[in-house]
Amino acid sequence: MARYVLRRFLTSVVLLLLSSILIFLVMRVIPGDPTLTKLGGTIKDVDPRALEAIRHELGIDRPLPTQYLNWVGGILHGDFGQSYFSQFPVTTLIGQRIGATVELAVMAMLFGLAIAVPAATLGAIWRNRVVDALLSGFAALGMATPAFVTGIVLIIVFGLKLHWLPTQGYVSFQNHPFESVKTTLLPAITLGISVAAPTLRILRTSLLEIGSASYIRTAQGKGLLRRQVVVRHLLPNASIPALTTVGVIVGHLLGGAVVVEYVFARQGLGTLLVDSVFQRDYGVLQALVLIAAAAFITTSLVVDILYGVIDPRLRVNPET
Amino acid sequence: MSAVNPTVPLELPSRGVRDHVLSRLLRQPAAVISLVVVGLIVLGTFGAPLVAPYSPTVSDYTRLFGPPSWSHLLGTDEIGRDLLSRVLYGGRTSLTVAAFATVISMLIGIAWGFVAGLREGWIGEILMRIADAAMGMPAILLGLVLVAAFGASTLSLILILGALFAPATARLARSTLLAELRSEYHLAAVSVGATRTRIVITELLPNTLPVLLARASLVAADAIFVEASLSFVGLGVQPPDASWGTLLQQGYTNLYRSYWYPIFPGIMILVAVLALNTLGDSVQRALDPSRS
Repeated sequence: MARYVLRRFLTSVVLLLLSSILIFLVMRVIPGDPTLTKLGGTIKDVDPRALEAIRHELGIDRPLPTQYLNWVGGILHGDFGQSYFSQFPVTTLIGQRIGATVELAVMAMLFGLAIAVPAATLGAIWRNRVVDALLSGFAALGMATPAFVTGIVLIIVFGLKLHWLPTQGYVSFQNHPFESVKTTLLPAITLGISVAAPTLRILRTSLLEIGSASYIRTAQGKGLLRRQVVVRHLLPNASIPALTTVGVIVGHLLGGAVVVEYVFARQGLGTLLVDSVFQRDYGVLQALVLIAAAAFITTSLVVDILYGVIDPRLRVNPET
Repeated sequence: MSAVNPTVPLELPSRGVRDHVLSRLLRQPAAVISLVVVGLIVLGTFGAPLVAPYSPTVSDYTRLFGPPSWSHLLGTDEIGRDLLSRVLYGGRTSLTVAAFATVISMLIGIAWGFVAGLREGWIGEILMRIADAAMGMPAILLGLVLVAAFGASTLSLILILGALFAPATARLARSTLLAELRSEYHLAAVSVGATRTRIVITELLPNTLPVLLARASLVAADAIFVEASLSFVGLGVQPPDASWGTLLQQGYTNLYRSYWYPIFPGIMILVAVLALNTLGDSVQRALDPSRS
C-alpha cells in the first residue's frame, strides 16, 4: 500500500511539474510584449529605457529556464508573482476573489449531489423503462446544455419575471451570510445542474453494472425485497465506482465556474481569469491556471489513493 | 494465385462486423433521430442563403428588439436584423469551427496515439504523459489560456479547439490500438510477413475506425460547446463574424430589453450538442452491445 501511495504521489508531482512547464511555455510563446499592457500604450510612444526597466522589474529579461525556476521557486514560498496590469501581488487579487468562487463551488456541489444521488438510487429501485428514459433523458439534456444557457433561463424566470432572487453580483459571506447565500443561489443551481448530469450518468452506469453481479442475483434469489437489495447490497458496492465522479465533479466545477460567474457578474476567480485574458495579464493568468491544474491533479490523487484503500486489486495494476 | 494474397482472408470478417454495426446502429431510434437532426442542422445552416428569410446583415430600424412574429419568426435583434437568419448564418460559423477542429483533433490524436501505442518504451511513455498533463485541466480553462496566447479569431479558434481535444483522442486511439494488437488477425498479418506500415494502414486503421468515429461525434459536440462558451465570454469568434456563442452573448447583454433574444441560439447549441452526443453514444453502443 505504501508503495502504491508513493508511486501515485510521485506521478502526480511529475504531472504537476509538466503542467506548470506547459503553462509557462504557452505564456512565453505569446506574440507581442506583455509589458505593453502595463504601460497601456503602443510600442512607438514608449521610451525604450522605461520598457527595459519594466521588463527587468517583472523579471522577463532573463533566460527562460531562470524565469521558470524563479516562478516555481516563488510559488513554493507562497509568492505567485505580480500582476502585469495592476500593481498588486497575484496572491492579493486571488485572496479578494476566492471567497465568491469557493462558496459557489461548495453550494453547486451540494445541489449537484442532491439531484444526482437520489435520482440514481431511485432509478435503481424502480427499474423500468419510464424511469430509465426519464433519468437518461435528464442526464443527456443536462450534459448538452451549456451552463450559460441554464443561467440565462434562470435569470429570465426568477429575476426578470418573478423578481424572487438577485441575478447579479456577490455579497461576502463574512459580512452578510444570508444575503451572500441569496446571491449565490441562482449561480449554484446553474452550476449544480451541469455537475449533476454527468454525475448521474456515471452513477447510473455503475449501478447497472453492479446490478448484474452474481451476489445481487443471490440476494434477489433468497427473496429480499427490491428495496433491501438496493440499500444493503447495491449502494455500498456502488460507492466504490462513485468515487470516480468526484474527479468529474471537480473538473466541471472548475470549468463551469468561469462561465457561470460571467453570466451572474460575480466577482470570483472565474471572472478574474476572463479579465486577465482580456488584459493580457499573464502574471495572474498563469497563476490561476496552475492553481486550477493543481486542484484537479490533487483531487485525482486523493481519489486514486482512496480507491487503493477500498479496492486492493488496483494497487497491483492501476491501469484497470 | 489469390490464396497467397494475405489480405483476402483477413478482410472478410472485418467487413462483416462493420455491416453488423451499421445495422445495429440504425435499429436504435435515438441514433436515427439524431442523425436526422444533425442532417437538418447542416442543411439549414449551410443552405442558409436558400433557407433564410432575410439577409443576416440588413437592418430594419423600424423594428428594434421585435418580438417573434409571422414576418420575423424569432424576432429581431438590437439593430433590427432578423434573428432566424442570424441564427442560421451563425450556425455556419459554429459548425465550420467544430468540423475543422474535429478533423484536426482526430488527425493529431490518431497519429499521436498510434505512435505512442506502436513505440512502447520511453517514446510512448513521454507521449502519453504529455497527453495526461494536457488533460489535467478542464477544456474551457486550457482553451482560455490558448486564446490568451494566440488571440481570438475564427482561425485560431479552430486550431486551439483542434489541439485541445487531441490528447483525449490520442489516449483512446492508443488504448483501442493496443486491444487490436492483441487480436488474432494482427498476429496472422504479422505471421504472413506483412510490413508494419502495411499492417497499420490496411488492418489496424480500418478496425479502430468505428471507435474513433464515435469519438469524432463526441469531439464535434464538445467543440460546439467550448466554442460557444469562449465566444460567450467574448474570447471566441469576433464581430463582425457571428456564431451561436456570440449571438447568445449579444442576447445576454440585451436580456433586459428582450428576453427571447438569447433563447434561440441557446436552443440551437443545445440541440446540436445533444444530437451529436447521442449519435456518438449510439455508435459506441452499436460497437459494443454489452454497454448499457
